[in-house]
Amino acid sequence: MLRVEQLSAYYGLFQALFEVDLRVDEGECMALIGANGAGKSTLLRSLVGAVKVSADSVQFDGEAVGGASERKQLKRGITLVPEGRRLFPSLSVRENIELAQRHGRPGRWDTELLFQELPALAEVQNRPATALSGGQQQLVAISRALVTNPRLLLCDEVSLGLSPYAVDEVYRLLNMARQDGMSVVLVEQNVQRALAEADRFYCVQKGRVVLDGVAAEADHHAVANAYFGV
Amino acid sequence: MKSSKILAMLVLLGVLVALPWIGGYATQRLMVEVFTLYAIALAWNLLAGYGGIVAVGQHVFIGIGAYSLFFLSTSFGLNPWLMLPAAVVITALFALLFALPMFRLRGAYFAVGTWVLAEITRIAVLNSDWLGAGAGMPLSTMMGITRWLRNAGIYWAALAVGVGSLGVVWWLLRGRLGLALLSVRDNEAAAAASGVNVLRTKVILWLVAAAITGLAGAVAYMNTLQVTPSASFSLNWTAAAIFIAVLGGIGTLEGPLIGVLVYFLLREMFSSYGSWYFIVLGCIAILTMLLAPGGAWSLLTRRRPLDPFGIRRMLS
Amino acid sequence: MLSLLETLINGLLLGALYALFGIGLSLSLGVMRMINIAHGDLIVLGAYLSSVIVLNTDLDPLSSLLIVIPMMFVIGWLLQKLLFNRVMGRDPLSPLLLTFGLSIVIQNLLQELFSADTRSLPAGDLALQGIELGGVNIGVLPLISAGISVLAFLFVAHLINRSPIGSAVRAVADDQETARLVGVNDRRLFAYMAGFVLVTVAVASVLYGMRTPFSPTAGPERLIYSFEAVVLGGLGNLWGTFFGGLIIGVAQLLGARIDTGLGPFFGHLVFLVVLIARPEGLFKAGRA
Ligand SMILES: Nc1ncnc2c1ncn2[C@@H]1O[C@H](COP(=O)(O)OP(=O)(O)O)[C@@H](O)[C@H]1O
Ligand SMILES: [Mg+2]
Repeated sequence: MLRVEQLSAYYGLFQALFEVDLRVDEGECMALIGANGAGKSTLLRSLVGAVKVSADSVQFDGEAVGGASERKQLKRGITLVPEGRRLFPSLSVRENIELAQRHGRPGRWDTELLFQELPALAEVQNRPATALSGGQQQLVAISRALVTNPRLLLCDEVSLGLSPYAVDEVYRLLNMARQDGMSVVLVEQNVQRALAEADRFYCVQKGRVVLDGVAAEADHHAVANAYFGV
Repeated sequence: MKSSKILAMLVLLGVLVALPWIGGYATQRLMVEVFTLYAIALAWNLLAGYGGIVAVGQHVFIGIGAYSLFFLSTSFGLNPWLMLPAAVVITALFALLFALPMFRLRGAYFAVGTWVLAEITRIAVLNSDWLGAGAGMPLSTMMGITRWLRNAGIYWAALAVGVGSLGVVWWLLRGRLGLALLSVRDNEAAAAASGVNVLRTKVILWLVAAAITGLAGAVAYMNTLQVTPSASFSLNWTAAAIFIAVLGGIGTLEGPLIGVLVYFLLREMFSSYGSWYFIVLGCIAILTMLLAPGGAWSLLTRRRPLDPFGIRRMLS
Repeated sequence: MLSLLETLINGLLLGALYALFGIGLSLSLGVMRMINIAHGDLIVLGAYLSSVIVLNTDLDPLSSLLIVIPMMFVIGWLLQKLLFNRVMGRDPLSPLLLTFGLSIVIQNLLQELFSADTRSLPAGDLALQGIELGGVNIGVLPLISAGISVLAFLFVAHLINRSPIGSAVRAVADDQETARLVGVNDRRLFAYMAGFVLVTVAVASVLYGMRTPFSPTAGPERLIYSFEAVVLGGLGNLWGTFFGGLIIGVAQLLGARIDTGLGPFFGHLVFLVVLIARPEGLFKAGRA
């Protein structure tokens, strides 16, 4: 479904990604592993058009879509849950989700369905989004992505700083999405968890892919080495 | 190579100094305008291009500088040239006072805030009888001086202001303040974290820019022998400075030099067209911001590799 | 005592008009993060447009709004599309300098087209009518324009806080990058907003032209009053702008009682004093 080929990304003169190659298959969950500053967020942001890259370097269903705007990628079905949640503080929980729904693709996921699945959110739907607990905010952030009915959902550090219970809630929601056939890319600090959830994985180090494989067969030593850059 | 350059500079300087013996009064008066406006544009560029502070009300310092000179010289019967340093000091003191409210604002708010400052000062002067109110003040201490000496003296003062302000800015940017400014311009938060006192750096810049502008304003009005609130506290001064800096290239030392040449070339050729002349100037400024935000200097350095670091070439 | 009360009321009414000047500036500062230096010149432009219509048709100034409003909307939309959008997100100085150039262009175009003479919009009987309330005389025209200003603020507040487009606007104001991520077309939104800002400017300009003579160079002062209202009220606080405008209006008229030439001086003075005492503005930052 998604093919990344020879993807390089820059911030001004600084090169953050060097000729990255990877792929995500239909319905698969892929984990992206790497230390802080490795370029994981940059990679996800390149996929949704927030960082401009060359057209050929991102192919979605065989079409060269790199560098297209966020809106176009959203319409194609690529949605990002950004690092740090980035909810809109001036908007209520409901407004946050409905705003995304209005600009997303039509489909099964909508605000009402999510409130049905997450009754705790429904209760606070009229509160300002950033007045919630961290775990609940993260659920809103994922909901905001789900209501755009993506085919490929990119999750940047969705469990960072959450309590174990909240992490489980987050993954419960993600797994619901996966059962619908959504493909998911996970960027996770918790390598164990990421490998447990994912089908395949890639390790990124200083802007380069240094290791990849099937998650269940991952050699933890090799992953640790790739992670720490030993 | 190096020494021939220095020789050329010395010859140029020599010609400029000798201008009163070569050229007529009209040329000298024009050159006074060129040098003073250059200094004002340089000061504006110092703030905007190196400090990231845009001051739409920079003309407040023109008025303050000019009025300081006129008031001191006329009321106490003192030689106007000797009062120029006093004008600088007074302008800088006002700038210090103004820093109190202004540095609570940032970015665009600061920019327009300085305009409020210029307005309130203009109205205050306009209503001050001891400053001549709306009619302004004459520089009566010029009376006893021969025409030739007066023109030459003002011209030399303007030359000193032009060359001196370039020297001061150059010296400032090469020193520790320049380094601090670079880091502030690149990333203010990071600079603050690494121990640069951002506010202090900016206030120093503000004071220097004010002092240069005040001095240039004082000399510019020596040239006209009469200062009025509406002319000296006029936005036209800042508009010209902005035009010169934007056109030449914000954040470069070369920019104002190119800009001032273009500005006076355009003015001498087209200013008789009145409103249309200003419409064209405005359009040029708009187009520059749209198409070449680096100004003329960035265009020049793109075609010919004049850029010593090669950064602009890689970016474009 | 009674005349002081009259001054106070007139100051509030004048301030309501300044607030109306400021509403558009507040929106562009709060949402688009840009200041339009030509804001005041656009107010004057609106007054001239109305004047041309009034002179060439049998419409009165208020009904000329039927034509001026759409024209101004288109002008705002085009300015944003063709000019402002191209320099946004670059650095905060670019839009400022670009609109500075625009301000010079508009002023001189007006001068070229309409000469430097002042003119005013004929207010007819309205200009003369007054209401006597307990010995205090209040003009009908200022009262009407204050009423329109209040309505405009209510309308904008409703639009921003209650409508779907308002939530997109608030999202962009909060975090433009993330707003793009959820699919908001920020540039198109900005173009419509700029159009809408000029609609508020159109209304303000006709009311302004009916009570004060204007000339091509009157713009910068309007910009400064609008700016003071916005900053006094607290950045990003719509109703703050309204009260900021009232304060400037009252300060100006009270100042003018002390010395007729010092009206605006006291407006500026209040602005600077508040800036030193409460740099975040008088009112807590609220929604948009
Ligand atoms: N907006 C930015 N501007 C400049 N450099 C950036 C920016 N964002 C990230 N970087 C740099 O790019 C590199 C990769 O960052 P990022 O993709 O955020 O890494 P990760 O998500 O793996 O922690 C880092 O060196 C970081 O400093
Ligand atoms: Mg990251």
